[in-house]
Amino acid sequence: MEKLRSKKVPQNSEEGAKRQRKIPDSAPLIAVLILMIMYFSFASEYFLQVENFRNILANAAVTGIVCIPSTFLIIAGHIDLSVGSAAAVSGMILAQVVNAHGIVIGLLAVLLFGLAFGCFNGVIVTMIGVNSLITTLGGLGFLYGVALLIGNGQTVGMNDFEWLGTAQPVGIPLPVVIFAGLALLGAITLRYTKFGRSIYAIGSNPNAARVVGIRSNRIIFQTFVLSAVASALAGAVLTSQLSAGSPNSGLGLELQVVTAIVLGGASLAGGRGSIFGTVLGLLIVGVLNNGLILMDVPTFWQRIAQGLMLIIAVSFDSIRAKLNNTRA
Amino acid sequence: MSTSTELIRLEGVKKSYNGVEVLHGVDLSVNAGEVVALLGENGAGKSTLVKILAGDISPTQGKIKVNGVEYAGLDVYGARDLGIRMIFQELNDAPSLTVAENIFLGQWPTTGGKIAWKELRDKAQEVLDRLEVHIPLDAEAGSLRVGERQLLEIARALIQNAKILVLDEPSAALSNIEVERLFNVMSQLKSQGVGMVYITHRLDEVSRVADQVQVLRDGNSVLTKDAKDVTRQDMVTAMLGHEASGNVRPVVSKPKKVVLEIDNLSDGHIFKDISLNVKEGEVVTLFGKIGSGTSEILESIFGLRQIVSGEIKISGEIFTPESPEDSTSRKIGFLPADRQRLGSFASRSVAENLSVSSWNKMAKFGFVKKETEEKAFGRWAEALSISARRGPSQEIATLSGGNQQKVLLGRWFEAQVNVLLLVEPTRGVDVGARRDIYNIIRQQAKESGVAVLIATSDYEEVVLIADRALVISRGEISAEFTDDHVHASNLIAASS
Repeated sequence: MEKLRSKKVPQNSEEGAKRQRKIPDSAPLIAVLILMIMYFSFASEYFLQVENFRNILANAAVTGIVCIPSTFLIIAGHIDLSVGSAAAVSGMILAQVVNAHGIVIGLLAVLLFGLAFGCFNGVIVTMIGVNSLITTLGGLGFLYGVALLIGNGQTVGMNDFEWLGTAQPVGIPLPVVIFAGLALLGAITLRYTKFGRSIYAIGSNPNAARVVGIRSNRIIFQTFVLSAVASALAGAVLTSQLSAGSPNSGLGLELQVVTAIVLGGASLAGGRGSIFGTVLGLLIVGVLNNGLILMDVPTFWQRIAQGLMLIIAVSFDSIRAKLNNTRA
Repeated sequence: MSTSTELIRLEGVKKSYNGVEVLHGVDLSVNAGEVVALLGENGAGKSTLVKILAGDISPTQGKIKVNGVEYAGLDVYGARDLGIRMIFQELNDAPSLTVAENIFLGQWPTTGGKIAWKELRDKAQEVLDRLEVHIPLDAEAGSLRVGERQLLEIARALIQNAKILVLDEPSAALSNIEVERLFNVMSQLKSQGVGMVYITHRLDEVSRVADQVQVLRDGNSVLTKDAKDVTRQDMVTAMLGHEASGNVRPVVSKPKKVVLEIDNLSDGHIFKDISLNVKEGEVVTLFGKIGSGTSEILESIFGLRQIVSGEIKISGEIFTPESPEDSTSRKIGFLPADRQRLGSFASRSVAENLSVSSWNKMAKFGFVKKETEEKAFGRWAEALSISARRGPSQEIATLSGGNQQKVLLGRWFEAQVNVLLLVEPTRGVDVGARRDIYNIIRQQAKESGVAVLIATSDYEEVVLIADRALVISRGEISAEFTDDHVHASNLIAASS
């Protein structure tokens, strides 16, 4: 009788599906976030203070600005790893140009760089057809070189432009306001517009998207441009916060961005994800970083935690995909 | 047959998906050295039965006995251990590896961690000899013909000690000569005591290769007989549930102006000199065996494949298909044969799947309202009787094949296309849904005047839906039938 294999046959998946639908996808994330906040509140007396939360948000905002278009890209089945280096280059450009020609020209130069670099990525990915991971990995490498080149390997100080990074209208840091505005805009675009829905369709099935008449290449191109412009803006904010352009300021930004987005429930295979999820993912990463700092954990441990966080997040993504397959 | 050892026996096997029973208690028995031909229309339950044998799914009820031992259900590894092997129409080989390597794919014999090349080659040669197949061992699998690669898959099954082979329409993509070789191999296997389940659509093959015939219809086994006692007419009647001549042909509408006109279209290797036209409100079918070029013709018109010569006109204007995006903006719709790859957005809702081609029309300042989509879905859900239990927001991947196909068809009706190109529109669709699909296509052609061109390898489909039937054989038009001349025997004769 040992050979007899009997498998449990699921009676009817309808019941299970219904029960599952009642719990939103974001519930586990919210739970994790609350648990982390509770833990760090006990672990550090400084954690649960308004000033600290302002810090967490201000730190998360720079990453968050980049996260919005990057969420679009990941839902569409693409990725942009060049965000950190692009932010560093725009910071360097900003510091140099502001010192020489003033703030307005400086910001224009940064915007121009964002547009140009976005078009570059867009052309390589959509027209030449190179995989976006490789294209932007290349961009990550060569733009870091460019950032070093601009400042001759040195940090470039910048005068009279702290407000972008440090102003606090009604007590909220300006970068947080910018991020919140972008997040809202991004969420509306993804949910309610043709553009946003096309992004889901492309990520869900790129071949079918062509057949139904969606102009996939144009949409991917535009999203790469948005991503580069957002990186440029993030670079400008960072530079303003530091009062200096540093070639190292964007290091590891791509890691934080991808971690937040994937934690937030976006699938690297495309077709799934949301801005709300990304914001939750971002807060989890931000709270973890902040908590570790307050607990005096050495920085190299923070690096280790960040890297592991990404692996945990993508593992969840894969496990979820497997569960979905067996249920179908 | 002299042997009568029963290798496998299914008793009263039932299978339900989401509470819908698709197999209603089927028996099947295969003896050693015996070939059972399994026949049935699309959606009759053949593929469900095959999946149960392969261990992909478990029956909801019923027994499976292998070599006299009873199982409630098999899993994939269990089925393999018991010597059950599948041979599918699609190849599962590694094209860049050699014939010998492919025969042992993944189970290469080793000595101390290194592949034992001599043993591998000797055994590969031995099994090819056993099958009386002559293919050089060092040829790359990718350089072989489809039929030869299929024989390699059988050879691999034998290396792994297959006792029971399930061949799922292996002949569909083969030339006549290749089919002969396949039959030779099958008779070798018979003499070696291997039991086989042979699934086919070609009735003429049954008497050549089978010992037993079993016909499925709508999830029931409706005929089980000795192959030598069964006539072609018996099989057709059992498959259709009525006499083939009893089909009611649609009333031919009186077509008006020409919408789609194609002149001497060639793609350089699969089809050539195709000329045809489809008029307003007309349904024209291109009938041909799989591989005859019917689907490629439609893909070329839609801009998914290149053409080298010829001309396409839409309502009198010359149209050069450059990409699907262009074609859709010219109001041409395309329903692909491969629903998963080219048709549906699995993780998105049915409403969105239905509306996706109409977003340009629906959008106001770039915004698409959910209610607009849901209304559109409501309309077509009713017209096509789509059953989505959880409403417009249900993910399309959770629907049955038939319902998914209806959503994809509704997509193009909602987009109000002028030309609709359908490739195998009812493949993998159950009988009831097929009827709905035929009805709606005819009704829409009549009411909206859409010109419909269908590529199909299913002659019954042609009989049920075509105003006009063109038959494609080896990439060329071999016959055209209208009115009462559209019937099965004419079609089959012209297609081979």
